[in-house]
Amino acid sequence: MRFGPKENEMNQGINLSVFEIVGSPLCVASDDGQKVHDRIAAALKEGRKVSLSFLNVTSITSAFLNAAIGQLYGECSEEAIRANLQVTDMAQDDLALLKRVVDTAKAYFKDREGFRRAVNEVLGDETDAK
Amino acid sequence: MKFRLPSTIRHDQAGFEELVDLNSKAGEIAFDEIEIDMGSVTWLDADMCAALGGILYRLSAELNEIKLTGIRPDVEGILSRNGFLSHYGREKTPDRYGTTIPYQRFEVKDDRYFANYIEDQFIHRSEMPSMSTGLQKKFRESVFEIFSNAVIHSQTQMGIFSCGQFFRAKHRLVFTVADLGIGIRRNIEQSRGITMRADAAISWATEGRNTTKNGAIPGGLGLKLLREFITLNKGVLRIVSDAGYWELSGGNTRTHLFGYPFPGTVVNIEINTSDKHSYMLGSELAESDIF
Repeated sequence: MRFGPKENEMNQGINLSVFEIVGSPLCVASDDGQKVHDRIAAALKEGRKVSLSFLNVTSITSAFLNAAIGQLYGECSEEAIRANLQVTDMAQDDLALLKRVVDTAKAYFKDREGFRRAVNEVLGDETDAK
Repeated sequence: MKFRLPSTIRHDQAGFEELVDLNSKAGEIAFDEIEIDMGSVTWLDADMCAALGGILYRLSAELNEIKLTGIRPDVEGILSRNGFLSHYGREKTPDRYGTTIPYQRFEVKDDRYFANYIEDQFIHRSEMPSMSTGLQKKFRESVFEIFSNAVIHSQTQMGIFSCGQFFRAKHRLVFTVADLGIGIRRNIEQSRGITMRADAAISWATEGRNTTKNGAIPGGLGLKLLREFITLNKGVLRIVSDAGYWELSGGNTRTHLFGYPFPGTVVNIEINTSDKHSYMLGSELAESDIF
């Protein structure tokens, strides 16, 4: 899935509350992160800018953030995410965790792409040899 | 079938070795009565109930009847207060000393239930150790990371077991999470096609950008975050998975290969509650610098 902005809708932003989506201050489960991801992804798909608020969230895990935000890097370009997604109301240590998750996700998808290309080359070679 | 536990079971290499030995001796027994003779036990670190409970649960799932016998009064006291013995026919007694985080079994879908258990049993109890706000948050997030790791990676069908203990005089809070899943070695083998020894597999999982994830959701941070936190805190992190033992203490790691496997993975964290490190960042991060 690749998301592209619809130019006439691009400026209509949407505010999403993590606390409201999860229904708890404890953002620890990957499944809950998936719910947040699905809302962000749907909004980005419609060409909306997303502001994601972590107000009233007290605990966050990397598993939650990997599902909520990390996986966006497998669906959108870094530029699109940088241009259309912002986070608010995060404590400094939570921001640091999010930064680690984002950097890890970028590397993960680059590695995965490289791995896939290498596999395809090997399979291609085998196909050629037949 | 009768098995005798040794005099001491601590949360260290020797203690875990005793438990993997018990698991191995019990093997694939089914439809039997299994008596665990605890008459010699004079000390059992209460948090080790998570690993012992996992092994006994595996045996009871084979329709064996588990009986714990000969328990000395002081050992019985602590195992009653943390709720372990209530799984084996005894009543739970109140924790007058306020030093236990109860033994509990969770399903993999119980993330929220687990989070609430930590809040209720640790964060909202006045008798738990006084720690800096930063340390308390890091501890809480660390145990959530451990649980999430078990949920995401273990593929367990039999649940996740946890238990904690506060050693007031030593300023140490110890918490253990055990699962009955495939273990780190097999997980790496299945997902990355790399074959390695069980102790090397644990080292692999705690280093660099290594991850067994290969789907749409990235991963591979949880154990690294734990490792960094425990190093700063001057605590101890122990991981038992399959036949591998891995320990981080004083910033140094060491490994060992047991003669027999644990039927899953155990993560044990021991934190130094007198740690005054603020866990605040040296430089400010702006929200606009994240993506």
